[in-house]
Amino acid sequence: MMRNDPIKHVFIWPAVLVVLAISIFPLIYSLTTSFLSYRLIPPIPPRVVWLGNYSTLLQEPRFWSALFTTTLIAFIAVALQYAIGFGVALALNARVPGERLFRVALLLPMLLAPVAVALVARMMFNPTMGPLNQFLSQFGLVNLPFLTNGHWALACIIAVEVWQWTPFVILMMLAGLQTLPEDVYEAAELENASAWQQFWGITFPMLLPISAAIVFIRLIESYKIMDTVFVMTGGGPGVDTETLTLFAYQEGFKKFNLGYTSALSFLFLIAITIIGVAYLALLRPHLEKRR
Amino acid sequence: MSGHGLTGLSPWSRRVVAVGVFLWCLITVFPLYWVVVTAFKTPPGVVGGPTYLPFIDFTPTLQPFIDLYQGIRGEFFRTFLNSTIVGLSAAAIATAIGAMAAYALVRFEFKVRLGAGLVFFVLALGGYLLFNATFGFTRPQALLLAFPIALVAAVVANRLPLPGPILGNEDILFWFVSQRMFPPIVTAFALYLLYSEIGRLGFQLIDSFVGLTLCYVAFSLPIVVWLMRDFFEAVPIEVEEAAMVDNVPSWRIFFGIVVPMSMNGLLATFMITLAFVWNEFLFALFLTNSRWQTLPILVAGQNSQRGDEWWAISAAALVAIVPMMIMAGLLSRMMRSGLLLGAIK
Repeated sequence: MMRNDPIKHVFIWPAVLVVLAISIFPLIYSLTTSFLSYRLIPPIPPRVVWLGNYSTLLQEPRFWSALFTTTLIAFIAVALQYAIGFGVALALNARVPGERLFRVALLLPMLLAPVAVALVARMMFNPTMGPLNQFLSQFGLVNLPFLTNGHWALACIIAVEVWQWTPFVILMMLAGLQTLPEDVYEAAELENASAWQQFWGITFPMLLPISAAIVFIRLIESYKIMDTVFVMTGGGPGVDTETLTLFAYQEGFKKFNLGYTSALSFLFLIAITIIGVAYLALLRPHLEKRR
Repeated sequence: MSGHGLTGLSPWSRRVVAVGVFLWCLITVFPLYWVVVTAFKTPPGVVGGPTYLPFIDFTPTLQPFIDLYQGIRGEFFRTFLNSTIVGLSAAAIATAIGAMAAYALVRFEFKVRLGAGLVFFVLALGGYLLFNATFGFTRPQALLLAFPIALVAAVVANRLPLPGPILGNEDILFWFVSQRMFPPIVTAFALYLLYSEIGRLGFQLIDSFVGLTLCYVAFSLPIVVWLMRDFFEAVPIEVEEAAMVDNVPSWRIFFGIVVPMSMNGLLATFMITLAFVWNEFLFALFLTNSRWQTLPILVAGQNSQRGDEWWAISAAALVAIVPMMIMAGLLSRMMRSGLLLGAIK
């Protein structure tokens, strides 16, 4: 039932106004700035360059490398989060012994500040004093260059992302698993379907819509990654682990190249929109078939 | 709740699964354990290589925390207070106005013409350019002038029979939620510029309570609206209908009946929002520099300031982490009652 009462405007307008002010303002502001050549240091009066910033950016190898790094981190981390999270959720749902004990512990990471988590990770990955080094040196792997080698650093960042955000997948998938109807499984039991068949025939397809939503949320959020990288490697060694947000921060806040940074953040917005739309378009046929 | 999915497994493979979960749990907990013990170590206890058990491996000390409190490594006490004040107020405001909006979207019908939305955007953009370039207003002045004009024009345009599709509640909800998709760097950077230009007009927003809180409220609203909508939809409509028969005004139905009935949901939403704001880094990095600095910024700074003083860094990280650990305990207790189930349907 939908009511119609003038008071509805009182209810909705505060939220709409705040979101409009904080999202449309900056949008218009940075859209217009992105067509200018505008620096604060040294202070030059702004000059209109139209698409100049964009074309410079698209020819800049550092932009492409940041885009590639971000994409790599996002896709690998989310794939691992989904696989591990789904597995743990299945196990918890099946009432594995000690399940209640695990719940609080499994939830914790997602509520912690990424900055603090990254600091803890730096300790864990310390090549001489860290516990991981001690553990691995028992297998003869001493002083691995965890954060000083580009590939290792990327892997470490992905590991931290997985550590922190798998709980989100566990939480959501667990909630999803609890909504599944019982009778379908009973019917499958009668047909003598194995646990494996039950999973691929019932559980997975029925959870596909939720899975799609979870992966989508995580993917979009992962593209924004900044604080973890900022603390763990600062984008280094060199620019090997520099993500898009970090690149924009460096350009904008260290060099105060405003027009350029605005253009960069708009390209970022466009990239995320393309990925989001492509993801939804790819998934739509699968989702509709199941209904 | 039942145990399907693994019921067909043999006891042996159940054991394998249990070991797997236990292993993941260990991976989850070990770093946390590590940061807790390291925070109580003395400098020699850290540098001498990893040690694990207090009193056996090393002698615990409170020195790192005393250092923190005395402000040797930055003004922790005030920063903690900043984070608490900004977090609580942003979460409270966002939950309040977000819940109202969510309720409106669940119970009332809204119609927005796409044409009116376009009018708003075109007028806001055009007005801004016009005021700035032609009339010589400064950029924030031009924005502040163009915004209300565009808004009023859009509200008027919404009454006119414009061609084009009419958007309903679902679309408004989508608009809210889609704000989360925005890369925050776009907003953060532009807000920084905007705030600093407004500051030049004499109203300081950078490094101020108002500026930071306002930005966090807007940043949390999408999540609040999204979560609260599900909680409100779960409230049985019959109660509200009964109240309407008695001619109880809508605002009293909301505050007197609906809010008390969804208290759990409001609390959970408040806590989730608080966690978001407490942990947020990027906006705080751009919008604060000294007075209103929040914990994540100070914690991140520990790294470069003094090199690898792990005992102190652990203590700092712990200060940022512990409040959220307590919240995780509270939240998981609420979750056991199936609270968050509705949120994903």
